[in-house]
Amino acid sequence: MTINDQQIQSAPRTRPSFVSRAAKDFRKNAAIYLMVLPVVIYYAVFQYGPLYGIQIAFKDYSARLGIWNSPWTGFQHFQDFFQGYYFERVVRNTIILGLYDLIFVFPASIILALMLNEVRNRMFKRTVQSITYIPHFISVVVVVGMMIDFLSADGLINHLIAYFGGQPISFMRLPEWFRAIYISSAIWQGVGWGSIIYLAAISNIDPTLYESAKVDGANRWKQMIHITLPGLMPTIIILFILRIGSFMALQDEKILLMYNPMTYETADTIGTYVYRKGILEASYSYSAAVGLFNSVINFVLLISANYLSKRFTDTKLW
Amino acid sequence: MKSIKNTVQYSAWVKVLIAAAAIVIVLTGCNERENSRDKSANAVNEAGYPETLTIWTVLNGNAAATMKNANEIAAYQEVEKATGTKVTFQHPPQGQEMDAFNIMISSGNLPDVIEYTWTNAPGGPDKVIAEETIIRLNELIEEHAPNLRKYLDENPEVEKLITTDDGNIYVFPFIRGDEFLLTFNGIIVRQDWLDALDLEMPETIDEWYEVLKAFKTGDPNGNGKADEIPLLLELGQLDVNHAFIGAWGITTKFYQVDGEVRYGPMQPEFKEFLTTMNKWYEEGLIDPDYAATDGTLKDAKVMNDQVGAFLGFTGSSIGRYMDLKKDEPKFNLVGAPNVVLNKGDEPLLGQKDPPFIGYGAAITSANKFPEATAKWLDYKYSEEGHMLFNFGVEGVSYEMIDGYPTYTDEVMNHPSLPVTQAMSRYMMASYSGPFIQDRRYMEQYSQLPQQKEAIQTWMRAKNDRLMPIVTPTAEESSRYASIMNDVNTYYDEMINKFIMGVVPISQFDEFVETLKGMGIEEAIKIQQAALDRFNSR
Amino acid sequence: MVHKKTFGEHIFDTSNTLALMLLSLVTLYPFVYVLFASVSNPAELVQHRGILLWPKGFTLDAYRLVFENPNIIRSYLNTIFYVTVGTALNILMTALGAYALSRRNVMWKNTIMIMIVLTMFFDGGLIPRYLLMKNLGLLDTYAALIVPAAISTWNLIVMRTAFQSVPVALEESARMDGAGDWTILFRIIIPLSLPVIAVMILFYGVGHWNRWFEALIYLRERDLFPLQLILREILVQNDTSSMMTSVGGGDRMPIGETIKYATIIVATVPILLLYPFLQKYFVKGVMIGAIKE
Repeated sequence: MTINDQQIQSAPRTRPSFVSRAAKDFRKNAAIYLMVLPVVIYYAVFQYGPLYGIQIAFKDYSARLGIWNSPWTGFQHFQDFFQGYYFERVVRNTIILGLYDLIFVFPASIILALMLNEVRNRMFKRTVQSITYIPHFISVVVVVGMMIDFLSADGLINHLIAYFGGQPISFMRLPEWFRAIYISSAIWQGVGWGSIIYLAAISNIDPTLYESAKVDGANRWKQMIHITLPGLMPTIIILFILRIGSFMALQDEKILLMYNPMTYETADTIGTYVYRKGILEASYSYSAAVGLFNSVINFVLLISANYLSKRFTDTKLW
Repeated sequence: MKSIKNTVQYSAWVKVLIAAAAIVIVLTGCNERENSRDKSANAVNEAGYPETLTIWTVLNGNAAATMKNANEIAAYQEVEKATGTKVTFQHPPQGQEMDAFNIMISSGNLPDVIEYTWTNAPGGPDKVIAEETIIRLNELIEEHAPNLRKYLDENPEVEKLITTDDGNIYVFPFIRGDEFLLTFNGIIVRQDWLDALDLEMPETIDEWYEVLKAFKTGDPNGNGKADEIPLLLELGQLDVNHAFIGAWGITTKFYQVDGEVRYGPMQPEFKEFLTTMNKWYEEGLIDPDYAATDGTLKDAKVMNDQVGAFLGFTGSSIGRYMDLKKDEPKFNLVGAPNVVLNKGDEPLLGQKDPPFIGYGAAITSANKFPEATAKWLDYKYSEEGHMLFNFGVEGVSYEMIDGYPTYTDEVMNHPSLPVTQAMSRYMMASYSGPFIQDRRYMEQYSQLPQQKEAIQTWMRAKNDRLMPIVTPTAEESSRYASIMNDVNTYYDEMINKFIMGVVPISQFDEFVETLKGMGIEEAIKIQQAALDRFNSR
Repeated sequence: MVHKKTFGEHIFDTSNTLALMLLSLVTLYPFVYVLFASVSNPAELVQHRGILLWPKGFTLDAYRLVFENPNIIRSYLNTIFYVTVGTALNILMTALGAYALSRRNVMWKNTIMIMIVLTMFFDGGLIPRYLLMKNLGLLDTYAALIVPAAISTWNLIVMRTAFQSVPVALEESARMDGAGDWTILFRIIIPLSLPVIAVMILFYGVGHWNRWFEALIYLRERDLFPLQLILREILVQNDTSSMMTSVGGGDRMPIGETIKYATIIVATVPILLLYPFLQKYFVKGVMIGAIKE
């Protein structure tokens, strides 16, 4: 959907020199550059400014010596991480949870937006919307507290299971249940909130498209498939690419509250592992190293996703 | 058209300018405040105390419930009157103290004084001194803190505790000034359940087994349902009170036998402990949900008359539950004795904190007037300071009755606040700070006879196998922390699996081998060296 | 709507409605639980297990205690300041950036865009960020929670995408009339993108409302603390595990369950009220679609 300016810029065969093109561009777009100036300054100061700190991943940070003067350790922290007893397990758990999140949590908001879009009663629609946003505002401490309460051996869910003649399950201490609970609660927390952006996008779809589809005799299902969904596609793809780019970023705080030693097997992720290590040792260098490892993987994923999207659809991040 | 365009552009510009101006005002406004604080920073007043002090300290939850900062504690207001020093307190958010502390230390942005549990600081106290974050106090105490010096001279064993391996005194310490204050946690049992089933207070592992079985089957809560949870086990508390596991003479962590460090979970006795717990679990004597039980659920289960025995504190467990259930006179919680293997033996291990756990006020390298600050901190160890921080203001929060400082109703029977919160408005005895805690506080705080008895009961143990608070050297600390992180994760996971039978006890040897693979023997060596250094202090 | 519903559509509508009702119920119940629990009698509540269909007893004591907490009021006002000023700055900065980056024929646009996207993945870490704030003199200021969060890259991308979807024709005709970029942004693009601006206000507003970690790091002055930090303090007091490990120790009393729930309500309701206020823009957004093409 983005118009590819690369094509426009590279169209003329005889290109003027870089300097003269830049000068011309600045003259023409002075207002635009002025607008983007505060944004650029912000990114330069607050995002790029601290980047020099990445070097502490390769150093042994000491408060007294400061970042620049701390001694180099090379890849020691990375080695410690890769050779750690739990390396494989935490990486595996992180990937699986990230994957489940992508498969189950991501589409949930789209489906909800489509369902809401089909509701004709405006009052009902608005009520459902308002209700499904609520969990997003509730602190994760409370969400997990309620989960533990409802899912305990004699909690609400087990009362229901027993009512229907089932055997009670101790959900919170069975490793095989952890992922299901994490993912379904993530849907519960975010499905309504996530749908906002899709609903906004749907509201931007040209209504005349629906009118002409109706004239052509398309039923609502067909309208949804052939008009709403394609209209949503750019938004979906952009959000999907971004989601891929934060594939390894899980809700660590929530996991920390949810897991217990019984469920480490499936629940211990890179984030929680680093948290335990970081808190014990306050070793900022080590967590910086693991953070860098995470970033690189996410970054590679993002580049690939953007590349594939550019290749097979018109939509791209840049 | 042109003019319209211009006005529109103009108004857009105005918006941007306003926004920019707003940002600048916010930034500069706050900067000025910062500067003014710097200007008035430390000078010494006529009495020899600093004019101002910035103190970073945790505001205890009981105090935070009724005040914004520690200046509202009556004791501190009195100190200000006596010394003329204006204190600015910085309180990190509760529950995030460690994060806030670590960032403060790592960034070098320091207040004048920091109160913290320094044994938890990354690398330990010696490293923090070596990094020039806080300063060594030996000489300052010698010259400017006569009250503390006097106490240390009278109690040389305390001086040994607060001195590091390198010979540094790093804090004005929080000291629990009496044996009676060191024990506050243990096994708690429903006496009324024992009575209902006509049972004796259990003392040995075997007797506990019989009692728990009777709780399970005898319907002691009398509701006709077999909904009793005989034992609510909180493994985390075992690290502190060594409940049940202490019967075998081991702990869940490091312990010592005649100066030799051992790691509890590697011992053959640990296998016996696991076998017993597994048996109890299989027979339904331990709460099946114990691994996922938080404070709320525990409260619910205890208040709901479901739990027969559990682990807890004198105040927040016995005192609080008895208070909440005061309408049910039958409900009776008592402290159970530390468990032994053979009847009549003296218990080997119970809960007993050292008088000093590493908590205290340190003077930072950013402090420009360390001598005056030391003098100010020393005030809390004087007779007046001691009374202020333990009992508050005479005539308001306590009265002298026959030479005994007795809390008034303002504290003990406050119309709207619980005791701990009412106390926190006047003094700091109910938690901690740089002063010496007085036994007479606990005698009154533990109002119920059950609480006083529980302390006496839990105190009965040899406790000579407990490790003192030792610290690895700065060089060893990082390696030690790295090993113990993996070990603790593995231990937490496996102890539950063994108890629940997910992993058969027959695999105990593999468990020990894995611990060795993680480097536990190296960690033991580090602990041993630290203990040796401690003993030769 | 002269169109008559077919049988299939009836089935579809009914099951759709039922599914949404079920979802609402599942979503709402825990919230209702918190509300009921917050006005319940603490002693009765603690003994209650399972589903709560009505408050157990009735008392507003918990709310009284919450508002008696001296930190609450101040932090409440602080949070309102952070949300309003912070969001205003966010919207301004994001709109400026999104507009500039959504234009065609701007030579450095792609370079800037890539530089911006890159920052989503690389982070200098806690300590360098802290030192930067210290050098800028932003520690212990209101600005500490506002300026470093001036733009969210994610929101910038979303707004840029929305700006790109504004029909080019409108912009061209304005340009023909002599309008410059500022006019186009404030008089055409923004009015036509109100739905997305509304969403952004909500996103940013909620972000400011829930922000606590930065406050933990950059603020030591309790008078600057936002509500969430105080809320966490109240919640954490109930956590036995933190009692065991807390600095300084002491025999800490857990606070009543009901206070915890009342705090959640107090801290959640205001931001919920923001939503209906913004929702009308969603409706407007649909109408704007009619102008297209």
